[in-house]
Amino acid sequence: MTESLVQLEVAGKQPGRVSRGAERAVRRIGRSVVGIAQQTGGILVLLGKIVRRFFPPDIDYYELKRNLHKMGNRSLPIIALTSVFVGAIMVVQASAYVQQFSATAFVGWGAGYVILRELGPILIALMFSGRVGANNTAELGTMVVTEQIDGLRSLAIDPISYLIVPRFLGMITMLFVLTVFGNLVALCGAALFGQLTLGIEWRVFFHGITELLKPWDVYVGLIKSLVFGLIIALSSCYFGLAVRGGAPGVGRAVNASVVASAVGIFVSDYFMTFLLD
Amino acid sequence: MIRFVGLSKSFGSKSVLDGVDVSIGKGEVFFIIGQSGVGKSVLIKHLIGLLRPDRGEIYLDDQEISRLTERQYFAVRRRCGMVFQHSTLFDSLTCIENVALPIRKHKHLGKKKALVEARKRLEQVHMEEFAETFPAALGDGMRKRVAIARTLTMDPEFVLFDEPTTGLDPVSARRVDVLIRELADRLHVTCVVVSHDLTSIFSIADRIVMLYKGKVRLLGTRDEFRRSADPVVRQFITGSAEGPME
Repeated sequence: MTESLVQLEVAGKQPGRVSRGAERAVRRIGRSVVGIAQQTGGILVLLGKIVRRFFPPDIDYYELKRNLHKMGNRSLPIIALTSVFVGAIMVVQASAYVQQFSATAFVGWGAGYVILRELGPILIALMFSGRVGANNTAELGTMVVTEQIDGLRSLAIDPISYLIVPRFLGMITMLFVLTVFGNLVALCGAALFGQLTLGIEWRVFFHGITELLKPWDVYVGLIKSLVFGLIIALSSCYFGLAVRGGAPGVGRAVNASVVASAVGIFVSDYFMTFLLD
Repeated sequence: MIRFVGLSKSFGSKSVLDGVDVSIGKGEVFFIIGQSGVGKSVLIKHLIGLLRPDRGEIYLDDQEISRLTERQYFAVRRRCGMVFQHSTLFDSLTCIENVALPIRKHKHLGKKKALVEARKRLEQVHMEEFAETFPAALGDGMRKRVAIARTLTMDPEFVLFDEPTTGLDPVSARRVDVLIRELADRLHVTCVVVSHDLTSIFSIADRIVMLYKGKVRLLGTRDEFRRSADPVVRQFITGSAEGPME
């Protein structure tokens, strides 16, 4: 009797529990898919609006200049510091094997290959996203919640051409420039630490780079930096303009922007690694 | 002339404006009053296309404007300036750069010439000594005066003021009132003012409309308002906590 009751109870409850749990899971997945689709759609619409401002060019050059300075010049110290240590880490990681196989002639090539093609662009982009992208989202989000964007519209000034296009161009341009700068600093850092820890001469180190690396290895990293710049610019502007709900909304938007940029950087890097090989 | 005809607007399930009919004549100082959240700011934002109506039409000098595109609205916005409740000056620009921005964009002047013109505009509102100051370093009243100067750079025919005296000390508030009255009297600018400030209302308004529950409750002159026996209007004027207002 008791056994059959237990069986009944189990039979009666379990399907319900499973179906409710499954329903919740399906709903959650559905909401996420719809959310991602909405955000992707919103980002593409924003890209369309930006592109339209180039035909004919409708760009505020004062704002562009201001943004280039703010995004580029002020990022130099942090990019330089990060890049030196990226180069140093490369040498430190390789040092055990280099000493074991007496492969000092290949340190320059190895460091150059990894820095120029992969580590340099990706790490500089992540730093740039954290510093410039997050700041951009917060600034635009604050402008939305304090009605400054509506203020611009009320002055018959197009927020896309005045605010967004200069930021978009500024971020793509400066990430490219900073990647060139960061790569050079990282290589110098690697050469310096190579000399200090392994006794590799600068001449030998850079000989490995110039002789064994192909120009395409440099171009791959630079093409990646342009794509990463595009991703950071679009994501930070989109989430900034989409802010709702006051100060907490700005915080959420900054978080979403940084996460979306990082995901976009890694996913696009994966595909570009195949395509540009 | 501005005309709102049967204007309705809802946000989600909340109906804010429900068939509002209002006409505003040229050169008038026209006040829109009512309780907080009744849709006063919503009404004036419709005029410059910051909000779009669910139903109804908006006419600006006999041109129906509610269905214009964002780009087509730029022409309307050059004629209708708006001074927002929180000034909406750009934090990253100094006061003079804020005022110079619309000059640079619309009059196609270089930066230096735009700054010279902006300084003159700041002098008009007695803010020239704060030209190089960032808005965050100024008080509410000063920011509002800079915002008014910025709006006037476009030489608008209509200026919409969203609670221009809210948060100001009585002296600054009266200075803003004088400025609004002067705009209408000297420059024949139509001023549409959203306000709760009874002193302003009864000192400078030509006509007043009171909104209540999304509809026009009373439309008339200052005297008609003072004499109104409508219990809702009476309660608003006396500021009594007891009465028919919810």
